[in-house]
Amino acid sequence: MAGRMKFSSLWKRRMALILPWLLLLVLLVLPAAGLSANMVRLLFITAVWTTCSIGWNLLGGLAGQISFGFAVFFGLGAYTTGLLMHAGRSPWFGFIGAAAIAALASFFIGLPTFRLRGPYFAIATIGVSEAVRVVMNNLDITGGASGYRIIENGPYRPLEHYYTAIVVVAGAVVISSVVMNSKFGLALRAIKQDEDAAADIGVNPFTNKLWVHAIAGALTGIAGGIYARRAGFFYPGDVFSFQTSISILLMPVIGGIGTVWGAVLGGVIFGIVEEQLVAKFPDLHLLLYGGLLILIILLEPDGILGLLRRLFRSKRIEDSGSTGADEILWGRSRLEGREL
Amino acid sequence: MTAETSDDHLLAAEKLEVRYGATQVLWGISFNIFRGKVTCIIGSNGAGKTTALNTIAGVLPVAGGKIFLDRRDITALSSRDRVKQRIALVPEGRQLFPGMSVEENLMMGCFLPEFRKQAQSSLSRVFDLFPRLKERRRQLAGTLSGGEQQMCAIGRGLMSSPQLLMLDEPSLGLAPRLVDEIFALIGNIARQGVTILLVGQNVNYTLQVSQYGYVMETGRIALEGPSEMLFNNDYVRRAYLGATEQA
Repeated sequence: MAGRMKFSSLWKRRMALILPWLLLLVLLVLPAAGLSANMVRLLFITAVWTTCSIGWNLLGGLAGQISFGFAVFFGLGAYTTGLLMHAGRSPWFGFIGAAAIAALASFFIGLPTFRLRGPYFAIATIGVSEAVRVVMNNLDITGGASGYRIIENGPYRPLEHYYTAIVVVAGAVVISSVVMNSKFGLALRAIKQDEDAAADIGVNPFTNKLWVHAIAGALTGIAGGIYARRAGFFYPGDVFSFQTSISILLMPVIGGIGTVWGAVLGGVIFGIVEEQLVAKFPDLHLLLYGGLLILIILLEPDGILGLLRRLFRSKRIEDSGSTGADEILWGRSRLEGREL
Repeated sequence: MTAETSDDHLLAAEKLEVRYGATQVLWGISFNIFRGKVTCIIGSNGAGKTTALNTIAGVLPVAGGKIFLDRRDITALSSRDRVKQRIALVPEGRQLFPGMSVEENLMMGCFLPEFRKQAQSSLSRVFDLFPRLKERRRQLAGTLSGGEQQMCAIGRGLMSSPQLLMLDEPSLGLAPRLVDEIFALIGNIARQGVTILLVGQNVNYTLQVSQYGYVMETGRIALEGPSEMLFNNDYVRRAYLGATEQA
């Protein structure tokens, strides 16, 4: 019995290692296998959303800090990339700049708001986000409410955008996994479950929250940059909108909050479904999201991934499905064969 | 008590003042924690007992006064650095990580690298003290009974082999039989040589398990003395032990 359990968990571990790379390979090969231009575009936008979802999930899912203000990072990423490319820099330089500016912004936002907890933090992020949008609407150097245009020389290459987005989303998955299985991630989980208890054992909630906010912000900023470069034109009412913040928050909740693959699943579903919804119910699609959010939180708080887990009866004792605390702090080798 | 040298004091708080915003909660209180003994602070709701503990743990900033650990001023140290100085706080209401297993919760007590080497031996020691936790080590902490959660919280505090263990209302919300059990365990821990600062509203038990006590009222120390003396003090008996006026 014990032997069988060991085998199946080993097998699961192997699958968990191989599957993501297989998925990445498929995504890289797909365009060559004759994917329609529309599908390439859809997968591109899905990858962009998924990157945001993974970023938000680190702060909201892992550390439990629900932010309604991620449009700030998305928008700042878009504008930073635009301004840097306008100044003659390469797009990749633009994306790195986007990450840096978004991380810097996350620091300034976090400094006051992380003194607040729970709903108070969430409300504060709405305020910050709306304030930034109003400022951007009136900022002359970026064209204010009229928006900003990125002009690139040379032919339009949709595949380049596609591959950029795939590489970035893959990078986001890797970063997210590393964070979740690190001591830093363990500290964040402790903060989510009980901030005071975490402080009592020597975790500094404030600095840990600032750090994860910066990582989450940077990922979202890069996503904003990639989006902006492909779109070519964007304006504050779009990238800085409250709707953008809601969308980013919605994805991990749909997919399964607190887990890497929940965030990915949510991003994929959202990316694919959103367009159809906007096209078919232009006036109602926000209402549909609201309804969906209520249903998920009421019926399946762990999202679709939680539902799948329940269906396949793979019970986890762990809250976030990530590595156990003892394994992170002491490593596998020391854990094995430990008999007390 | 006058012959006491400060070497007997593991920790000394001098004229602590603490405010929550404009509201002053501690009004210059001074107290000593005796090395290798159980010192207690008793008092009613809102007297400032928990505030005093949190101040020593470094969770709350002081508005005035000083804290000495082994005659070294630690007033400026962060809560994290005080954990490194092996001051452990078991907070009120047994704040566990509900989504982690019992063993993980205990291991989190060794979160700081300084304590990691001793984790194995600490875990064995905690499981010796609380065999019930060993039975339930794979169970989620959030699904434990109240008494077991309190044991888990105390166990987590012990994981860093603290030189000072501070227990905030360890019997809060427990069934009478479990209250007996918890106080017996506190006695056991004390006999292992751990210095304990105990805060409680269960004055009867608290005074029985401790050697020295302070009575706090509205942010000031109203009375202090050996626990036995406090236990027999008329005022304490009337105010906290429910003794009626003797006819």
